[in-house]
Amino acid sequence: MSLRLRLLLLIGISLSLLWGAVAIWMLRSLDDEVHQTLDQRLAMSAQMVAGLMSQNPAAWDGRSHTQDKSALSMPSMAKGFDCQITSLRGDVIMRTPGATVDAVAMRKPGYSERVIKGERWRSYTFETDSLRVTTADRLAERDLLLQNVAIAAVVPFVVAMIGSLIVLWLGVKSGLLPLERLRQALARRTPETMTPIPERAMSRDLMPLVSTLNALLQRVHVTIHRERRFTSDAAHELRTPLTAIKTHLQVTRITQGKDAALALDYAEEGVARLQRTLDQLLTLSQIEGPFSWDDGKLADAEEVARLAIRDASASSNAPARIVFKRAGKSASLAVPQALAITALRNLLDNALRHTSAEQDIVLEMQLAGNTCVFRVLDQGGGLSAEELAMVKQRFWRRGSGQGSGLGLSIVAAIAERFGGAIELKPRPEGGLEASLALPIKN
Amino acid sequence: MRVLLVEDDELIAHGILAGLRAHGLTADGVSNAAQAEAALATLHCDIVILDLGLPDEDGMRLLARLRAAGMALPVLVLSARDAVEDRVAGLRAGADDYLLKPFDLDELVARLHALLRRAAGRSVDIIEHGPLRLDPGSGAVFLHGQPVDLSRRELALLAALLHASGRILSADQLRDSLYHFNEEIESNALSVHVHHLRRKLGADLIETVRGLGYKISTVKP
Repeated sequence: MSLRLRLLLLIGISLSLLWGAVAIWMLRSLDDEVHQTLDQRLAMSAQMVAGLMSQNPAAWDGRSHTQDKSALSMPSMAKGFDCQITSLRGDVIMRTPGATVDAVAMRKPGYSERVIKGERWRSYTFETDSLRVTTADRLAERDLLLQNVAIAAVVPFVVAMIGSLIVLWLGVKSGLLPLERLRQALARRTPETMTPIPERAMSRDLMPLVSTLNALLQRVHVTIHRERRFTSDAAHELRTPLTAIKTHLQVTRITQGKDAALALDYAEEGVARLQRTLDQLLTLSQIEGPFSWDDGKLADAEEVARLAIRDASASSNAPARIVFKRAGKSASLAVPQALAITALRNLLDNALRHTSAEQDIVLEMQLAGNTCVFRVLDQGGGLSAEELAMVKQRFWRRGSGQGSGLGLSIVAAIAERFGGAIELKPRPEGGLEASLALPIKN
Repeated sequence: MRVLLVEDDELIAHGILAGLRAHGLTADGVSNAAQAEAALATLHCDIVILDLGLPDEDGMRLLARLRAAGMALPVLVLSARDAVEDRVAGLRAGADDYLLKPFDLDELVARLHALLRRAAGRSVDIIEHGPLRLDPGSGAVFLHGQPVDLSRRELALLAALLHASGRILSADQLRDSLYHFNEEIESNALSVHVHHLRRKLGADLIETVRGLGYKISTVKP
């Protein structure tokens, strides 16, 4: 449902209900008031007639014996309003002409109602020492009066109601105009448009919305840019070994003997490289994705360190030259064992790759608060300030190094996912110190 | 034809060089921008294959700089970046052709020949010189319509002389066209190849210009 329709319905219906209820209330109290007033008038009329009659009893005294038919006629009062005066015995003394006899027939004093020929009549009987005066009026007359009053009151009310609904519709329409302009401005944009929506043309009420929208656009823009760059980089990284494989395979077709065998070896090396890059890309996307790594095993920090050293030594051509130093106790890591090993091993691989074969690499392990800190210290060339700034970028590698350029990205992703931290800094004595802090289980 | 390959990835460079040599081209590889500049300054090359992702300088910047300095050799850019903007930027920076990785070796060679042909101002790949016909792409040589069997070096020597179309080429230039960096060259190797060519295609085809070098005879056999 459109905002305009919803506003219109909400305000329109509540307005109608509210004023409708007020109108019903008003008519109800009007009804009561009119009936009460007319009843009072009925009573007052009877009392007045009785008062007048008693001032001159001689005028009617002698007539008390007269027959009903010849009763004195009183001047006609109003249609549907009759009056009859009788003696206490029941002899009719006076009666309004054309009166409905039953309506004013003798009753007990006070108000009473009866239905005569399908019409309801209300009567009032007043008794003095010698007289009984009954006045009666037809209720239909009262209803007519009420109806007239109601029409006089309700028609302007309904007109005002319709008028205010029209004003409401126009008001809502013009009030929502800035929103409509914003909608049009957004509808005109292509998915690629990432420029912010101009804020000055917008109404002040919409400013927070527009600012939020612009902030969102900015974030989306940055994300898309990063993702595009990552995709492009990934494509580049995968194409490079693929190119090597393809080229070498084509060389095997046009060469023979030693050259062909060499080309096949190279092609195989390309396949291995492609596989490495793919594995690392998959690992990275799994770490960043919703994949659950929890295998229920407790990852003991020291065991993680030993396994990482074993893996790193096995893959590098150099003989084991990693020195492990543990300060204090070991603890259980709050990181799945496989990932803790992967992270630590990537740091060791980097250190091995960038130091010469004679130099030792030191792995220190120490508990600090709620974390276990692993420090990988090497004596290699280290990194310059600019290189340190770029080192965690995906696919960045130093020179034309052999790595996939994803190792540190994976370490950083693992640290980020499990609330750890990775820090690289040059050592004063040369080389690099990579410290990885992983949270421990309480 | 002598090709200079500028490619930082060792594995790819090995493959391309082996492929080009198997196709009868003389090819040398360098792995960064600085080496590329040095090689261009000292070697006689006919064409350059340039990879854009170099460790020391962006390939595109190197190309723009070389073009600004007046380097007129045809350049074929190799890149794994397939976005249209990248390709357009490459061509704008002065590339003559743009080939995406992974590519087909045959296609690379065909494009190199096409670039060279256009640089020499010819519109067909076949070079004709009197009764002599050379198809550089396939390496086939015909004399009076009869196929002539030439070795790889002889073919390269003939192609270099024909490409020069009558200009004198020094012995050094010719050696650069025939051998890549690391090949051992015997001192009389060039004259041996010239001798073989004269024997197979006629003594008048190649003229020796004393003290300067060789040129293809303008008097057609």
